[in-house]
Amino acid sequence: MTDAIVLRGVTKRFNEVAAVSDLCLSVPTGSIYGFIGPNGSGKTTTLRMIMRILLPDDGTIEVLGSHGSGAARDQVSYLPEERGLYKKMTIRRLLRYYGRLKGRALPEIDAAIAEWMARMELRGLEDRHIETLSKGMSQKVQFMAAVVSTPSLLILDEPFSGLDPVNAQVLKDAVLEMRRRGTTVVFSTHDMSTAERMCDRIFMIFGGRKVLDGSLQSIQDEYGADTVRLRTAGGAAMLAGMPEVEAVNDFGQLQEVRVAGDPQRFLSRLAARTPVYHFEVTRPSLQDIFVRIALPVDQPCEKS
Amino acid sequence: MRKILIVAQTEFVTLIRSKAFIAGVLLLPVMMGLSLVLTRATKKVADNKDRTFAVVDYSGVVGEPLVAVARMFDPGSLLAAERPGGPAASRFTPVLIDVTARKPDELRIELSDRVRAGELFAFVEFPAEVLDPGGQSRIRYYSNHPSYSTLPAWLQVTANGVIISERFRRASIDRALVARLSKQAQVENLELFERDASGRITPAKTVSTARAVGVPLAVLFLMFITIMSSGPALLNSVIEEKMSRISEVLMGSLTPFQLMVGKLLGSVSVSILLSTIYVIGGLVAAQYWGGYASAVTVALLAWFLMYLVMSILMFGAVFLAVGAACSDLKDSQGMMTPVMMLLMIPMFLWYPVLRAPDGTMATLLSLVPTAAPFLMMLRISLAPGPPLWQIALSAVLMAATTMATVWAAAKIFRTGLLMQGKTASPGEMMRWVRAG
Repeated sequence: MTDAIVLRGVTKRFNEVAAVSDLCLSVPTGSIYGFIGPNGSGKTTTLRMIMRILLPDDGTIEVLGSHGSGAARDQVSYLPEERGLYKKMTIRRLLRYYGRLKGRALPEIDAAIAEWMARMELRGLEDRHIETLSKGMSQKVQFMAAVVSTPSLLILDEPFSGLDPVNAQVLKDAVLEMRRRGTTVVFSTHDMSTAERMCDRIFMIFGGRKVLDGSLQSIQDEYGADTVRLRTAGGAAMLAGMPEVEAVNDFGQLQEVRVAGDPQRFLSRLAARTPVYHFEVTRPSLQDIFVRIALPVDQPCEKS
Repeated sequence: MRKILIVAQTEFVTLIRSKAFIAGVLLLPVMMGLSLVLTRATKKVADNKDRTFAVVDYSGVVGEPLVAVARMFDPGSLLAAERPGGPAASRFTPVLIDVTARKPDELRIELSDRVRAGELFAFVEFPAEVLDPGGQSRIRYYSNHPSYSTLPAWLQVTANGVIISERFRRASIDRALVARLSKQAQVENLELFERDASGRITPAKTVSTARAVGVPLAVLFLMFITIMSSGPALLNSVIEEKMSRISEVLMGSLTPFQLMVGKLLGSVSVSILLSTIYVIGGLVAAQYWGGYASAVTVALLAWFLMYLVMSILMFGAVFLAVGAACSDLKDSQGMMTPVMMLLMIPMFLWYPVLRAPDGTMATLLSLVPTAAPFLMMLRISLAPGPPLWQIALSAVLMAATTMATVWAAAKIFRTGLLMQGKTASPGEMMRWVRAG
C-alpha cells in the first residue's frame, strides 16, 4: 500500500522559533490517522503544511504522490479548527462553491449534496440561508463542505471539539463512512478516547517534535504493562510512601497507578496495608501516555 | 484559471444580490429625484421674510429715491412681479434716519444695538461723497447676518441705479440715450461648422452648457461612484472570510493569488454591470430632457471602460490587501482612510481641470495614475479632448502602476490572510512585500 502523505525532515519556523522540527511521517492510504499533542505543539502547523497553506522551511512533503501544488490539491479537503461559513449563502450554493473549487462537475456535486444532506438529516433545507441555521446544523454543513468533493484525503483539525454528543457521533460515523469509501483521514484531537477508538495509527507531536508514531497496539507495547488499576478500602492515601508507586492518577473510587518493578510484589505489599477490592494489570491508556510525555517535568522518568 | 473564474462568478452573484449593490443602483436616481423634489419644495417655501433696514445718508440725495424705488416693489404695486427672486421673495423696507446733529459713531452704535435687538435687520451708510465719480467711497452695509447676501446684492444694484441716475442728471445727460447708445452686442458661443454626408455645410450648433459640462461631470461622478461602491465591498468580503476562517478552507483549494484575482474579476464585472445600468439610464435621461445622448461617443465609453477596469484592479487590490492585513472591521476603517483620501483628492480638483482642461496643472494631474481615471477621463470628455499621446501615456503609467499594485497586494494578501489576532502595521506590510 502506498502512502497518502509522506513528510521527510520537515521544519517550519516562525520568527526563528521552530514550530515543527525535523518531522518525518508516513500516512498509509486508507487509514485513519490521529494527530495528538497539547496546544501549541505544532499540530495545526503540520496540517497546514500538508495542505500547502504554509510552506516548510526545510524538508519535503509529498501528498498523494505529488510534491507540487496542482492536481493533488483537488483531492484533498481540509476543515480547520475554527471554521466559519458565508452567512448570506444558502447551503446549496455554499456546497456547490466548495465542490467546484475542487474541480468537481455540478451534477457530481449535486448528487453528493443530496446524499450528505440525507445522511446528516438536513434533507429539504438545501435552500436555507446559513445565518438561519442552528449551531449544530452549521457544524454539519461545515463538515459537508469538506466532503462534498469526495476527496481522497480528508484533513480535519479538531473536528469533534465543541460538538454535542449527538452531533459528535454523527460526524464520527461520517468519518468512518469516508474511510469505508477509501478516503484517507487525518485528524487532530485532544480527546484521547476518540483517538483510541477511531484511529488506526496515532501520531503525537510535542514541542514541534514527533514523540509517538504507530498503531495504538505498538505504542502501548512500547510503554509496557506497567499500569495497575485498583480499588482499595483505604483509597489513594494508602499509596503514599510506597516505593513501587511512580505516579497515581486518582479517580476517587479508582486509582490508576504506574508501578515500578513487579506488580505482584506491589499487590502483596498493598494488601498488607489495606483490603484490595480490585486489582488489574493493564496497558497504559493513551491519556496516560499523553500526560507522561506532555508533562515531563512532573514525571522525570519519562523517556521521549 | 478555472478556479479564478469560479471565485469571480461566486463573488459576482454574491455582490449583485447584496443590499449594497441594490442600494448602489438605486442611489443615484433616488438622490436626483430627491434633489428635484427638494428644489421645487424650497422654491415654494422660499425665504419671503420682510426685512427692514436703516439708511444713513450723508449725501442727502440717495436715501429718498431709494425708499421710493423700494416701495415700487411692494405687493400690489406695478413692479411687484419683477421683484428680484420673484413675487414671493422678501420685501426690503428702507427706513430713512435723520442724521442732523448726530455724531456718526453714536448713531452707529445705536443702530447696531437696534439690529442686535432684532428691531432692524441691518443698516447702510452712504458717505457724503458717494456721488463723486472719481472718489473711492464705499457704501457700508452693517448686519449681524454675514452670510445673507440678498440684501447687499439688492443694494448694490438698486442704490447704484439711484446714484448713477443722479450723476447723469447733474451732468445734464439723458440717461436713456446713453443706455441705448452703449448697448452691448452679445457673444454667442457656437460649435464648429461641419460637412454632412451629402457635402452640405451644416449650421453650427449653439454650445449648450448642459452638454459641454454636464456630460463630463456625469462621467466623472459615475467613475467615482462605481469605484467607491466596489472597493469597500471587496475589503468587507476579505474580512468576513478572514474572521470566519473561511480563507483557510479556501487556501486548501486554491492559491491566494487565484483567490485575489478571482475577487478582483468579480468586482470588475459588477462595476461594469453597475456603470452599464447608469450609462443606459443616463443616455435615456439625457436624450429625453435635452437630446444630449449624442455627446456620449463610443470612444468615450471605450476609454471609460479601460480606466474603470484598471482602477477597479488597482484600488481593489489595495482594498483587498488592507482587508487581509486587518484582523477586524474596526481596524480596517482606520487603514482604509488613506486609500479613501487617494480616491477623494482628484474629486477636489475637478473644477480647475474643467476650467482649463489643457493647462499644465490639468495635464500633469491627469497623468498621475491614481488621478487619471477621474481627471484624464474628465479631460477626454471635455471637447476637444487631450492629445492622444497624453491619453496613451496615462494609460501606460496606470497599467504599470496597476500591475505593481496587484503584485505587491498579492504578497500582503498571501501573508495577511492567515495571520490572526493582530492587524499588521504599514511597516510589516512593506516587509511582506519585500520578502517575496
